[in-house]
Parts: sequence; structure tokens; C-alpha cells
Amino acid sequence: MAKKSGQISYYVYINGRILGKVDKPEEFVAEVRDARRKGLVSGEVNVAYYPNLGVVNINTDRGRLRKPYIIVENGKPKLTADIIAKVKSNELNFNYLLRNSIIEYLDSEEEENALVALYESDITGKTTHLEVDIASIFGFTINTSPYPEHNSLARHAMLANFTKQAEGLYAANFNQRFDSRAYMLFYPQRPIVTTGAYDNVNIKSHPSGQNFVVALSTFYGYNMADAIVLSKGSVDRGVGRSMFYKTYADEERRYPGGQKDKFKLPPPTAEGYMGEHVYSKLSDDGIIEPEMDVIDGEALIGKVAPPRFLEENIGTGGLEEKMRDDSVVLKTGEKGVVDSVIFTESTGATKIVKVRIRSLRIPENGDKFASRHGQKGVTALIVPQEDMPFTADGIVPDLLLNPHSIPTRLTFGHLLEMLGGKAGAVSGKIVDGTAFVEEGTKRIANYGKTLENYGFERLGNETLYDGMTGRPFKAQVFNGVVYYNRLYHMVSNKIQVRSRGKVQILTHQPTEGKARQGALRFGEMERDALIGYGASLLLKERLLDQSDKTTVLICRQCGSIGYYDYIKKVAVCPIDKGSDLVEVDISYAFKVLLDEIRSLHIMPSIKLNE
Amino acid sequence: MKSEPKKYSVESGDPVGMIAAQSVGEPGTQMILRSFHLAGIESTISTSGLPRIVELVDAKKRPATPITYVYLDEKIARNFDKVEELSRKINEVKMGDIAKRVLENFSKGKIKIVLDVQELESESITQKQVAAKVEKALGLDTKLDGDNGILVNAGTRNLKTIRSTSVKIMRMVVSGIEGAGKATIMQDKKNGEFYIVAAGSNIEGIIGVEGVDKSRIFTNDIFAVYRLFGVEAARNALAYELGKTLKEQKISVEDRHLRLIADAMTAGGSIKGVGRHGLSGEKHSVFARAAYEETLKHLIHAAAFGEVDIMAGVTENILVGKQIPLGTGAVRLAIKKEDLAKIKPVEK
Repeated sequence: MAKKSGQISYYVYINGRILGKVDKPEEFVAEVRDARRKGLVSGEVNVAYYPNLGVVNINTDRGRLRKPYIIVENGKPKLTADIIAKVKSNELNFNYLLRNSIIEYLDSEEEENALVALYESDITGKTTHLEVDIASIFGFTINTSPYPEHNSLARHAMLANFTKQAEGLYAANFNQRFDSRAYMLFYPQRPIVTTGAYDNVNIKSHPSGQNFVVALSTFYGYNMADAIVLSKGSVDRGVGRSMFYKTYADEERRYPGGQKDKFKLPPPTAEGYMGEHVYSKLSDDGIIEPEMDVIDGEALIGKVAPPRFLEENIGTGGLEEKMRDDSVVLKTGEKGVVDSVIFTESTGATKIVKVRIRSLRIPENGDKFASRHGQKGVTALIVPQEDMPFTADGIVPDLLLNPHSIPTRLTFGHLLEMLGGKAGAVSGKIVDGTAFVEEGTKRIANYGKTLENYGFERLGNETLYDGMTGRPFKAQVFNGVVYYNRLYHMVSNKIQVRSRGKVQILTHQPTEGKARQGALRFGEMERDALIGYGASLLLKERLLDQSDKTTVLICRQCGSIGYYDYIKKVAVCPIDKGSDLVEVDISYAFKVLLDEIRSLHIMPSIKLNE
Repeated sequence: MKSEPKKYSVESGDPVGMIAAQSVGEPGTQMILRSFHLAGIESTISTSGLPRIVELVDAKKRPATPITYVYLDEKIARNFDKVEELSRKINEVKMGDIAKRVLENFSKGKIKIVLDVQELESESITQKQVAAKVEKALGLDTKLDGDNGILVNAGTRNLKTIRSTSVKIMRMVVSGIEGAGKATIMQDKKNGEFYIVAAGSNIEGIIGVEGVDKSRIFTNDIFAVYRLFGVEAARNALAYELGKTLKEQKISVEDRHLRLIADAMTAGGSIKGVGRHGLSGEKHSVFARAAYEETLKHLIHAAAFGEVDIMAGVTENILVGKQIPLGTGAVRLAIKKEDLAKIKPVEK
């Protein structure tokens, strides 16, 4: 775009559209920025120039990511100690700083033209801006985790995911809400180690975790490969305990032809009546009462619906209307207590009933926990308190974390939080874990000093005693306090077993999926493994005998599938009307295939070889 | 003690094809992500990794990057000048490589070829030679024009003919062997012998050149090997190329698996791919073919021609729910227990 020789002129784009040319881009850009600082153009305008492309970009549109910086002029930041004092005493506010061009927002393009100093001491003559806070080089998510500068970026990405999955006080009005699924942590705590960003966004008023006493120790191999060991004593006292809420809802729908559903106890005459025991807990109006214990298969909302297909029942003329049972039943594998029942109405003036079930989720083997350093783990053992290792002070760790989970993941922030958390816990003070507040070594020294003041070892190591023998461990064990989140992946919501059960109507093969009490798929690769091993009978058992085996009658003469006439007590071939048939075991899927081929007017025949 | 070959021999009924397929397929899943080239080592960078495996297994008629290694007779193999001369005989030069441009004069029915003098020099071809080639190949009158031009009389003023003639001229092979590709001279570091690497696969042409060692010529084009040396050579070449490609990716697969795959692909006397148009598509069983791809096509064909499935394979037996004729299913009862009692010992 730029001319090769002589006067170079730069194209000016405004929001990507060409506006004109300028000959002296640096002066032009400086002028725009000056105008912005003087308030002549909006503070939302950003301008960037690219000497290598010969382009000046002015951006005023929405959706740009912008970040505030302190303006530096002549080697001096415009935010002086004076102003800071006034802001602190509430004389001035942030908007004042913006209006008076002490702080300005840059977008990612304009930032490329700026020379930003991280600390005030780094400012040179060329510096144009100063970071408001060094921690602001990270985004919000990273800044809410403690000691982020000591953790690897990959772990930060994981942390961001775990934070979303953490149980906590998700809403203060949870008792009035009918969320389809909700998890409420008992005794949520504020973290001992917090950060500036965490404190400023008000999540401390609805926290989503608890401070665990953690010892970095193995326990008979039970915490290998990201497993964790919990203390039964802690679990019994409420560590990681939570409540699971689930809402079942139903509506009295209207159908064309004036028919509608009705909430009521389904009469035994209703089509699809599931038996008296299913409806035994419903009250007279057909709806279950609060504080009733329910298990899977029991009805929560009794409802009858008009029959699915209109039948011509002339003559019978019964006064009784034909009905179909359409009750809401607790899903398989679930149980709990009816927490609350509400009646309401939809915009279409149909009745709606919502039933909220609550059930306690005490941590058990297979439940998932994660710290704020992307360190997740699954409970593998809950040890009775008397068998857990303890310190000389009688402190029993809530959680035993395998030391091997630290070095390969490069989450040194986890170790720092253990130390910082311990220092905070003994001194009763909240510890600041904001990024770059201090150097790591200084932090360790400070925490060590605190710990020594309270009679602890300065690096957080302590002699642990084996709970089973009472003997001290030869090595000292590093322990501390870490903020742990309980994640909502719990075995009790996922566990499913089946040894026999439902099959699909079409193929006679076992159903699939937890909701349908399904079996696990013996897939192609598993099939390959058995073929490769040569286990032909095992393969046949899996794929035929344990699946869709059917016995059919096949005509010796024409090879078509026949049937057994129970009146004449004789097998019949429908093609040649003979009765020379043999029983053959085939897969139902093959029978369906033959049926479908026949439906295309093709006659498949099976030749038998005896 | 079992002898070494006996220890590793397969037993009757072993599903060797399945094991071979899985043994190549499983490491193949690891190849996808790390497909990089060792740039600059060979004069021509050849396809490697998964694309190459796919190319071999699908029996592609032409490889994406054909390469021929031409070794020379002992007498000249260490004489660079002679090797260079021989390389020039092989090196394929097209008119497009040496012509700056081809100008068509439609009103006079003439085509002017403007040659690049530098290119001519580096390929040691003269203007006259080029003109003679054009004259011979197309049967048209040519005239030299200046020191780098050739005038061709197309003999017609038909636009279409002139254009097609000029395209033909551009694609014409001026020197070397057609399909041999660009030849580069390389030196064996061990014994100092020179050899030629050609970026083509016309081994039929190259092998005819005086001074080429006919016993050591080598190409990565399986079909070229098949055409010149026959199906057994093609089978060996296929197994070798598969092994080489896997080895480049630092994947070790037992050679016999690869040889089995090569055997299966060449068993019919020609090279067949493994997919729809090859091994899988030519299975005997209707059900096995229908279970793979183009279900309807195979079922309709079976219905129209009254095909009979003899249930000898794996897929069809699993489909109907029979024991597969492999492994423990490969054996059959020869005689029933009751029948055994009927057999009387021979009286002496």
C-alpha cells in the first residue's frame, strides 16, 4: 500500500473502512490520542498504526477487548501519590481518573504501539504507559486463583473448568428455586488464601469450597494416580457434604378435541397402570406430600391422559371415560425426600405441578475433589479417624494427597498455598495470594516466620504418627491448609449395573444408556479382540446367546421361516404348506434382515446343512 | 526344545489377517499427529507417514511423489563426468522448462518459441536440437529465429489447432526420458559410488539406458515394478515400502504382518487395494460385502443373480449368529461317539 519511493502515505481505516490517506502517520496518531485525552473524541476510540503495513487503524466499534493503563508522560506516571491518597479517601473516584486522562483504556491493537512498564521503577524515557497493577497482566480467571505465577498455564485452563463444576452456595434463595438440578454445599467457607480479584468480585459471599487440612503423604497406595484419601472423621463432621436437588415437573396438557390431562390418582382401570405400590405415597389429589421418602419407581405426580389413539367404542357406551396412566415416576437409581411441592399455572392456563426431591450426598468412594491449582482427584478410600496419621498436636489431616501429583504437573502454587494456608490458619489471618505481590522465596520466609511464632516448623513439615501403630514416621511430612472444591461428578448419580434386563423391541438386543437400564456395548474392537484370540464360542455367547438369540422354524424344502400352529400342534411352512421344519437358532437381527428383504419382494431362502 | 521358526509359527485356524490388520492399524492411530518431514536430506521430499500408507494400501496407480534410484555399472559408477553424461540422458526436460514463453500468431498460423538461453546452457541443449525435436515430434516446419527463438509453422489458421499445438509444444519432452523426472546425482558415502535419483518412475525407459545397472534399479512406484518385473516383485516392493514408511515414523511392526497384507493385495495376480474396490468389495460372501459398504448395491445384485452365501467367513457368521470358522471354531467333529463304537477292530 505504501509507495516504495519518495513520500510514503499511509491509508487510514476507520472500523475497517478506508477513510483517506495521511503523510505523517505518527503525528496523525499522536493527534488522535491527544484529542482523546483532551476529551475532544470519545474515550472509547482507539488508534493504532502499523509502520510495516503502511496502515493506520482507528477503531470505535463494539466488542473490542480493552484494558486500563496509567498514562506516563515525560517519564512520570500521571497517577501521583497525591491522587492515590485522594482516591483512597473517596475524594476522587475511578471516573475522575478516566475523565482527566490519568488512566486510559487501550485495545489490543493500540497496545501494540504502547510501551508499557510493569513497575514504576521500570519507566524509561520511551515508556508510554504503566500497568495499573502487575497482576492485571493476567485475566480474571487466573487472578482469582492463588499464586498463579507459580503454576503452569495448562493447569490454569483446568482450574477454570473445575471452578464451573464446584458445588457451593450457588444462590442465596435456593430454597425458593426449582432448578432442574442443583447442588448445595454444607458449610461453605471463604478461602484462607485469597487474591485481590477474588475479594473484589464478591464471590467470597457465596463461596464454593472448604479449607482442608492436607498432608502430602501416601497412604498404603490408596492415593496413587490422582486418587485421594479422606478422613472418615472429617467426612462425618461435614467436610464436603452436600445436598442434591432435582425437580420433576408435569403439566395438564390440552389436546385437540377438547380432551385434557388430569392430575389425580390413576384408577386401576387406566391403561398402563403400574400397580398399587407405585402410587401408594400419593395423597388424594394425586400429588405426593412434602417430606415423604421416595425411592425409584414410585410415582411423584399422578396423572391420567386421554388414550393415545381414538377408538370407536360405539355400543359399549360406558359412562367411564377411557384413560391412560401418565404419572411421573422417580427415575431409576434415585432416591430422596420430597423437599417441596408447588402448584402453578402456565401462560396457557394449564395446571403445572413441580416436585423438588432432595437427597444427601456424603462424600464416598468415587466422588471428585479439586484444589484451585488444577489438581483434581477421586476419593479412593475414607479412613476411620483413628487410623489416619496425626501430628504431635493431634491434628488429623482431612485429605492425604500423593506427593507424586505435584512435580510432573508443575503446580508449585499448590505447595505455596499449603504453606500460606497453614500460616493463615495458625495466625487467624487471611493470606494474600495475589500474583506478583512478593517473590516466592520471600513468601516462604514470611510464612515460615509466622509458623515459627506459633511453634511450627518454618517449612510446614511435621512429624506424623501412624494412626494404626502410634509410631512416628521416619520422615517429616509436609502439611498445610488448602482450599478444596467438591465437584458435582458423583458416583451416586452415575453408577449403573445390569446383569439382565430390558431389550429393544426392534432388534431384541439389550437397551443402551443409564436412563434405560442399559447394558454396556460389546463393540467392534472387543469383537476383534475375541476373533484375534480365536475364542469363537465366547464370541458367539456374547453376540448371540447373551444378546438377541431367537429360535425360528425353517422349512427343509423351501428354506423359508415358518411357524408353529398350536391348534393343530404342527409346524407349518407358509410357502409350501408342508410341515417338514427344523428349529434353528439365529440372531433376531438376522431375522429382521430377512423380513426386510422379503418386504422388498425378494425371497431369501436358507439352505440347511445337517 | 522348539526350534526358533517353530516357536513363532502360527497354528491352524489362527486369524492372521485380523491380527495383521490390527497390528498395523493400532500404531497407525499414533501416526496421524506426528507427520513431519526430514527436510533437505533427500533431493526430493517424498510423501511419508499416514498419507503414504493410505496411498500404498489403497493401491493408487501413481504415487504422489515417485522416486527412482538408478545405480550404475561398476565401470562408470565412480567417474563423475561419465555419470553426469548419463544423468543428462535420463533427466527429463520439458519445453516448459527451457522456454521463456510461447507466442501464438493466429493470423499467420505460426508459433514462436522463445527459449531461455541460460536454461539451454545448463541442460546442454542447443537451439538446433530443440528445433529438430519439434520438427520430428509434430511433423511441422521449423525455422530458427535469432539466437533464442524458434518459429513453428502450424500449417493452419484454425485457432483451436494452433492453441492445442502450442500446448503440445510446451509439454513436449526435449531431452531425457519421458516420465523419468528430474535427475539428481548423489554419492554413496560408504563406497564413494555415484548414483542417480530421479523424481519419476519410468523404470522401463531408464533400464534401457546404456550403463545403468539393471539388477539394482529401484523405485517406490509399486505399479511400475508390477509392469516391469511382475506381481511377485510388486508384492515384495509393497511390503518393503510399508515397512520403510512405518520405520520412518519409528513404529516397529513385525514384517510378516506387512508381507501378509502385501500377499493379500497381490494374490489375484494384480495389485488390489483393500477398500471398497479391492479386497473388501470382492469378498465372496454377500453379507460380508453388504455389511461393509454399499449395502443396497450388494443386496440388489445378490437378489438379481441369485447369489448363494456359503457362510465361510467371519462377518457373515457373526451376523446370523453362528460360531465363526476360526480359532476354536475352525475344528469340526470328524466322527461321532456312537459311530465310533460301530467301528470294529480288525481281527488278526
